Amino acid sequence: MMVADEVPLDDKAKRMRDLLSSFYSPESAMSTGTDSAKHASPDDINSNSFDPDHYMNLMVHKSNLEGLLQRHVEMAAEIKNLDTDLQMLVYENYNKFISATDTIKRMKSNISGMETNMEQLLEKIMSVQSRSDSVNTSLFDKREHIEKLHRTCNLLRKVQFIYDLPDRLNKCIKSEAYADAVRFYTGAMPILMAYGDSSFRDCKLASEEAMATIVKNLQGKLFSDSESIQKRAEAAVLLKQLEYPVDNLKAKLLEKLDQSLKDIQLKPEEIKDVSVDLTPSDSAHEASINEFVEAVRAFRVIFPDSEEQLVTLAKDLVTKLVSMKSFFIYRASLLSLSWYANFFMFPRNFAIAEEYVQTRVCAADLLGFLRVIWNDVLLLDEVLQEAALSNHSLEAAKAVVMSYIRSAFSHLLQDISDSLLKVLKKDETGEYSLEVALDASTKAVLQGGMNILQEFRKLLDHNSGILVRLRELTIDFVQEGIQDFFRQLEDHFLRFSGRNNSSALDHGLVEGAQGDKAFAGLVLVLAQLSAFIEQTVIPKITEEIATSFTGGSVRGYEYGPAFVPGEICRKFRSAGEKFLHLYVNVRTQRISFLLKKRFSTPNWVKHKEPREVHMFVDLFLQELEAIGTEVKQTLPQGKRKHRRTDSNGSTASSRSNPLREEKLNRSNTQKARSQLLETHLAKLFKQKVEIFTKVEYTQESVVTTIVKLSLKSLQEFVRLQTFNRSGFQQVQLDIQFLRIPLREIVEDEAAIDFLLDEVIVATAERCLDPIPLEPPILDKLIQAKLAKSKEQNAIPS
Amino acid sequence: MQGASSGIGYGLKYQARCISDVKADTDHTTFLAGTLSLKEENEVHLIRLSSSGTELFCEGLFSHPNEIWDLVSCPFDQRIFSTVYSNGETYGAAIWQIPELYGELNSPQLEKITSLDGHAGKIKCILWWPSGRHDKLISIDEENLYLWSLDASKKTAQIQSQDSAGMPHKISGGAWDPHDVNSVAATFESSLQLWDVRAMGKTISIECSHVRSVDYHPKRKHVLVTAEHESGIHIWDLRKPKVPIQELPGHTHWTWIVKCNPEYDGVILSAGTDSTVNLWLVSLGNDDVSTESQTESPTHWVDPLINTYSDYEDSIYGLTWSSREPWIFASLSYDGRVVVESVKPFISKK
Repeated sequence: MMVADEVPLDDKAKRMRDLLSSFYSPESAMSTGTDSAKHASPDDINSNSFDPDHYMNLMVHKSNLEGLLQRHVEMAAEIKNLDTDLQMLVYENYNKFISATDTIKRMKSNISGMETNMEQLLEKIMSVQSRSDSVNTSLFDKREHIEKLHRTCNLLRKVQFIYDLPDRLNKCIKSEAYADAVRFYTGAMPILMAYGDSSFRDCKLASEEAMATIVKNLQGKLFSDSESIQKRAEAAVLLKQLEYPVDNLKAKLLEKLDQSLKDIQLKPEEIKDVSVDLTPSDSAHEASINEFVEAVRAFRVIFPDSEEQLVTLAKDLVTKLVSMKSFFIYRASLLSLSWYANFFMFPRNFAIAEEYVQTRVCAADLLGFLRVIWNDVLLLDEVLQEAALSNHSLEAAKAVVMSYIRSAFSHLLQDISDSLLKVLKKDETGEYSLEVALDASTKAVLQGGMNILQEFRKLLDHNSGILVRLRELTIDFVQEGIQDFFRQLEDHFLRFSGRNNSSALDHGLVEGAQGDKAFAGLVLVLAQLSAFIEQTVIPKITEEIATSFTGGSVRGYEYGPAFVPGEICRKFRSAGEKFLHLYVNVRTQRISFLLKKRFSTPNWVKHKEPREVHMFVDLFLQELEAIGTEVKQTLPQGKRKHRRTDSNGSTASSRSNPLREEKLNRSNTQKARSQLLETHLAKLFKQKVEIFTKVEYTQESVVTTIVKLSLKSLQEFVRLQTFNRSGFQQVQLDIQFLRIPLREIVEDEAAIDFLLDEVIVATAERCLDPIPLEPPILDKLIQAKLAKSKEQNAIPS
Repeated sequence: MQGASSGIGYGLKYQARCISDVKADTDHTTFLAGTLSLKEENEVHLIRLSSSGTELFCEGLFSHPNEIWDLVSCPFDQRIFSTVYSNGETYGAAIWQIPELYGELNSPQLEKITSLDGHAGKIKCILWWPSGRHDKLISIDEENLYLWSLDASKKTAQIQSQDSAGMPHKISGGAWDPHDVNSVAATFESSLQLWDVRAMGKTISIECSHVRSVDYHPKRKHVLVTAEHESGIHIWDLRKPKVPIQELPGHTHWTWIVKCNPEYDGVILSAGTDSTVNLWLVSLGNDDVSTESQTESPTHWVDPLINTYSDYEDSIYGLTWSSREPWIFASLSYDGRVVVESVKPFISKK
């Protein structure tokens, strides 16, 4: 319903509007009319081209009667509506028309009096004009005259000024009012330029002379140190106004600035003070920097276009300041390097070390130093923003931090080797304690390592601007540093052992036991230290790094973290094993030398009957004892292993022993072949005793390995000889004697038993007439030896 | 590393120390081994590798009057060899000829060509002229070197020249330089000493301790390898006798003998008293190795140990490459076991 209502309303309003518009503006109505006519069909009742006949026809054709009737009713209603609309329009417009007519009537009456007034006004204006014309003409001549006089006067004044110029300038010089002088001179300049060659020649010359002195004075002022910066700046400005070649001056001034910069630098002790003790010299340093800042500021004012030079200058300053410090650190590390060099050449020259220790730098000092520099840089940055000094100093600080970290590590390295070399040092006084050396060096490694990390942490925790920006880099440096440090440490260790290896072995034979002994001790300490580093230090340091030195990712991920504990562990493990082997080797060599002497010297074929246990056994046991004490001082005690092979082996050997005895008793040489077969068979059935097992970091393992190797050597030496019966018996006796003390010190009794048996078998094989000693005699001789050694022990005590 | 043994075994009756490649036999891969038994009748075994390479058989078995401490096959006549022997007290050296074989294996006597008399001390070894047919021989005892001229047809040998070591230490062995036939190296307890054969005078001396065995590099002049009891294997350049070019760790116990492969460069075999044979591959670089490259080499160090043969029961004293099939070597352990192995699988990889 609503929709149905609205549509006719709309229609109605539209129609009204159309009608009104057609009334007020026929053109637009026409256009709309034609417009609608174009689109409207003849059957549209609202269009201009409406054709009633056509419409009727259409209606009749289209609709039935009822429809037509309805349409009729509708139309009637519409027509009525239209009528009322029209009526309303007419009424409204009529009102407006009446009021318009009234207004027009009023206007007409108002205008009628105006014309006369206007005519009067015109008349008056005309008379004013004529008067003013007459005054103007009468005054013209006089005015022109006055103007002329005025011009002459000005000219005269100028001439006067120029004539007075030299005097004035001289006066200015006297009162040092150079600014005025310059102003005067520049004012007179154009005239002097124009007429200087003719009328004002003398004048020009005189003033130029005066100006020359002024310029000279100004220059003097510019370069005199006593004048304040502002005054100098003014002088520079004046000179510039005089079109004096300023660049030259600028260069000179820059040079001067540079000079003063150098003055700031060349106070190493001050810088040193800064690093050693911050507070007192802080102010002095500050003052000099402030001065420089002022100078730069003034300079900028004077020569606004000279930033580039200043930038380079400031950069120079920072570089110098920083390099001062890095030089300082470098010097320390250089010293340490030279110390190392010295050390390797003259191992006993420890004096240089002390000097070197004094030059150490700690993190706090570094921090203080960096803070000072950063402050300086900030000051300079205010003055010279273009210089990007902070970046520059960042770079420099990076270098310093890097070198600091490096030197810190090299110090640590040196500490460690110091404590290690106590082994050799104490040797000179005749006594040495591996325990002390080991303690000291483990402490040096662990404590030193942790301390150094603590120091570095200070760098990270400190929140002065520069270090915060360097944080990631610092972390990277630290990680790299640690990696490098351990690598170098391992290198060092190897070199320690290597250095002595070639020389000490030869010397050891020539010089005697002492150096060799100490060297063996050193190697043992190194072995244990390597193990300690691998098992304790690296995990701790890894932990420390994980907690406080992570997040440095500047290197990029493809490289991975710089510190690879796994690699280091691997290195030290292999180094430790190497040292352990080296120790075993050195020790075994000594014993083997002893055995060689014993077995290659006598003529075994003509050996006499054994009367006592040979003294080489004592030497052998002494060596073992020495090894025992060394090992006890350094290596941990292992659990005494009761391995499966142990029990097996011992039963096997006890089983094979009677077989051997029996075999040996059968002296019939014709059975030797079956004997060999028997030994082979016995070997086959016996579990193969592992003679060459891996050396472990325990006292027993090392001693056992050495004993095993020595016994094997003994066997080999025996195999190279030929024995008569007595020789065989001697060996039998010696071996029998060794059996008990050896069993006490080794962890693998079975293997030792086996090896001792092997020695006897080997001797028997190499014997022309292998008849063993009777057990009672054997026993008696051994007892005699034991008694004798007891006696010997009793005497010194 | 100690995988299943691929070796072919052969058992001697008695203990033994020495085995030698029969260089002159170009048709077969043959070895000579001598036993070391103080009380039994010793034997020399002529052992031949079957053409299939899977079996060792005894080609000849000859009795030898005394225990054999050194045995070297003549490089130009497969039927001639030298031995150093001992009866327990005294030492002797002799040149032997294998009698013509008519398929019989029951210990025919060896024909003694001549004995090299004149030695007083323990004879250590006999060296044949390193290349080709030549009449010169060198015998070394603990103190002296003798240069012999051998006439096989007349069955005589005469001392041509002689020199004594003149050192407190005793000679333990030696080798004849294949590149310079005038040079002979002898090993001492604490050094390696070179002799000029022509003048019979000492030339270079290299400091090294407890040298047990020495072998010249067959291809490279100036290079030789020493085995030392405790400190392993050293490779030397005679032009730089101060420091070795390279060091190899050697064996767990003594390194007894070391042999350079006759064909493959840098392939070295060592045997020791820890009952193992080690196969090494070292890169010796160019002939003109500078010191820089030497110092550099440890940084990119690769394990030179290629393989360890550990299938032995006793110390190994005898070791030789086959010159006919240079990838084959024979080893002899003290219990009399000859083991022939091929290193082909390790070399072909390189």
